[in-house]
Amino acid sequence: MTYLNLMIPGQKGKVVGFARDSKLVRRLYELGIQPGRAIVYLRNAPFNDPLEVMVGSSCLTLRHAEAALIAVELEA
Amino acid sequence: MANSSLTPTSRKTYEVAICGNPNCGKTTIFNGITGLSQHVANYPGVTVEKVTGKFTGGKDNTQVFTLVDIPGTYSLSAFSPDEDIAVSALIGRMKEMTVPDVIICVIDATNLERGLSFLLQVMEIERPMVVAVNMMDLAKRRGLIIDCDKMSEMLGGIKVIPVVGNKKQGIDALKMATIEAIGTKPPQLKSIYDTATEKLILDLAITDDDHDRCRAEYIRVIFDVGSPAEKRFLAEESEEVHQVLLKVREELKRTHTFLSMAESSALTFRANEIFEETVTSNKMGRVTTSEKVDKVLLHWLAGPILLFLTMMLVFQSIFSWAEPIMDLIDSLFGSLAGVVEASMAEGPLRSLLTDGIIGGVGSVLIFLPQIIILFLFIAVLEDSGYMSRAAFLVDRLFKWCGLSGKSFIPMLSSFACAIPGILATRTIEDRKLRYITIMIVPLMTCSARLPVYAIMIAAFIPYKIYFGFLNLQGIVLTLLYLLGLFVAVIVSYILKKIIFRADSGSFLMELPSYKVPSIRSVFIRVMNRAKAFILRAGTVILAITVIIWALGYFPRDKEIYNQYLTDISEVEADHSAAIESFTSLFDDYKADMDDQSLLKINELDRQFAAAATVEDIVSLTNSSAAKYPELAIPIGIISNIHMYSFITKDKLMHLTNDLQGKNLRNSYFARIGKVLEPIFHPLGWDWKITMATLAAFPAREVIIATIGTIYNLGANVEEESTSLVEKMRQAKWEDGPKKGSLVFTPSVALSIMVFFALCCQCGATLVTIRKETISWWYSVGTFVYMTSLAYMLSFATYQIFSRVWY
Repeated sequence: MTYLNLMIPGQKGKVVGFARDSKLVRRLYELGIQPGRAIVYLRNAPFNDPLEVMVGSSCLTLRHAEAALIAVELEA
Repeated sequence: MANSSLTPTSRKTYEVAICGNPNCGKTTIFNGITGLSQHVANYPGVTVEKVTGKFTGGKDNTQVFTLVDIPGTYSLSAFSPDEDIAVSALIGRMKEMTVPDVIICVIDATNLERGLSFLLQVMEIERPMVVAVNMMDLAKRRGLIIDCDKMSEMLGGIKVIPVVGNKKQGIDALKMATIEAIGTKPPQLKSIYDTATEKLILDLAITDDDHDRCRAEYIRVIFDVGSPAEKRFLAEESEEVHQVLLKVREELKRTHTFLSMAESSALTFRANEIFEETVTSNKMGRVTTSEKVDKVLLHWLAGPILLFLTMMLVFQSIFSWAEPIMDLIDSLFGSLAGVVEASMAEGPLRSLLTDGIIGGVGSVLIFLPQIIILFLFIAVLEDSGYMSRAAFLVDRLFKWCGLSGKSFIPMLSSFACAIPGILATRTIEDRKLRYITIMIVPLMTCSARLPVYAIMIAAFIPYKIYFGFLNLQGIVLTLLYLLGLFVAVIVSYILKKIIFRADSGSFLMELPSYKVPSIRSVFIRVMNRAKAFILRAGTVILAITVIIWALGYFPRDKEIYNQYLTDISEVEADHSAAIESFTSLFDDYKADMDDQSLLKINELDRQFAAAATVEDIVSLTNSSAAKYPELAIPIGIISNIHMYSFITKDKLMHLTNDLQGKNLRNSYFARIGKVLEPIFHPLGWDWKITMATLAAFPAREVIIATIGTIYNLGANVEEESTSLVEKMRQAKWEDGPKKGSLVFTPSVALSIMVFFALCCQCGATLVTIRKETISWWYSVGTFVYMTSLAYMLSFATYQIFSRVWY
């Protein structure tokens, strides 16, 4: 298990949980970042931050600090 | 909720609310239903746009439905006042709004699970509902087959209408279903919560039996810790009920790892159930077209380059396309003032109309073409989906100075005008970041500063070339642009760290799929925005210009005016005496002439009368004298007669400009300028510059007209005017230690430009800030910090440059 901010662009995985409870985590959940769902790390913006991921059919952007809250199981 | 018992036939008007996730196409459907009959206002107490529209239907089309566009949201859970709007509007807790008779919930067919989660939350409000599944065509192209009948069945009979909003498919069916839904009973579905949680929700509802709250409100109170909904509840309830709420939460925490997740996971679970039953997909894991486009547009190198090119295009258009229309507006207002001037007698009323009102309204409307073009680009970029990508690309840069990528568009817009820039901050959800952005965008070099820079640079910055291609004038202009930007970065950093103490906010955002913007919705958006600009800026500027006009017009000195009248009658008397003597001389000659010569002379007289300029007369004199040497003397006389008219006209104009100058120099404004001169003396300014700058506080570009009037050139000077440049170059100090030396030196020009770069000389901006923050404090704060910075840096500029340069 790792965290989303530690992945590299192109890697795929599955969301397994969140580091802690917060309003932000709730928003992540509502936007589709939910335990059990597949997640693809698409790319970083120029100068590395923020990053873009794909969950289901939607593309979401978040900063590395926020990605550090998302625990991910890498695809074998 | 007393309304719900009324039968559909007993009323004529109904409230319908339309809600949904962001980017689900809600606004397109809204536009499709209501057409152009829209009303834009704000929700009470916040600056979130409330768009309402009307449609008719029912028996004989006699029922009127008011459709309210609820702000797009991913969830009803709300922690900030802005987020709370959607919830309180839907549950009828919003001031000036009633509980909706029907709720239309729009869900995106290509993102059904998320839409269904939201729908399930909205269903807890227990109002009559209709569901619109939008973008059915796009879903079909992606291989998704959605069974709307099955979905309707699983939702307990709520009508589910397939819609393609941008092609207006399904809109009529949606209207019909909405009208039919009025007065229907909300479905009784199996709760989405487990038995234990469900019991806890009921516990709270039962304890609080003396209030008429819907189920959704209890759910919000339980799950949204620290939310506006919770605060409302606590304020209205007794200690006993508070205890029950705490107990309910304790219980929930025992069975759920995260309290906030107890609701979302239940919603997701049921949403997935419905999704599995109603959707069949025949293509899985495909890469969408948007993702292919993003491989280029969000590429680490190509992305920023393409963004830069796009912005270049926007700016090129703002400045080059708008130019001819701006000139047209300018001349239109000029001739309007001319008409009024010609048809009214000289006096305060005429001056108020021409110099005050027409001039003031014109000074605002002249920016309208630029602003419409800007809004047009913003609307197209937003609707196509590129805007959020632009924010993504530049976020890192903005984070560095304490802002977010979402501040990019507001700052960029402000290079044309700060007002659309301030309006564009509405897309920044984080309040602190939004207020910081609002307070720094007026530092961007807007187009009203350009004429001021143009005349100062042309007059006082030498044309010098360095390294073969760098022009000193161009360097100064560039530095002025950079000065605003640089100060903005520092100010935003200070505001963020010290004043607002904001955290870096989040950049959690969805990148919507690209789509071709609908011309209709772009048009509606631009229209609404332009209307808001005219109302906001126009009314205020009008009021302020009237005040400024009065300060510059009064008091009128009778002595000065009488002197003017005496001078005029003298000039007129001179004129008629001269013409008379020339005419009698001419008559003497005519008496001796033959018929043929007379014919020639009369023809020449007509030609002279048609001459438009002094130069024309001179050349006509030379050519005709060469052609008819025998008539040289009478030609000379005619030439003199016509020449004299021009000279007299010129003299009269000078007298009028002189009068205006004297009046202005005698006005309250001049007195204020003289009183304040010591304050601005360290910036190198005399009382005339001080006064002209004061007059420019409501609107910067006014300084040119004011300087023009002070130097007796009349108010209609252009920034290219060579006579104004000459006058300024020759102006000398009238008294004091510097008496006799030049007023305007390069260092004075620089200090004026630095002052204009940083000072908040725009009444319309201050009023817009007040409207967008709902507090005068932000306007006052912006004005104070900008004006003090302007004074300090202008002071430093003069003190340094007057020593190293001159």
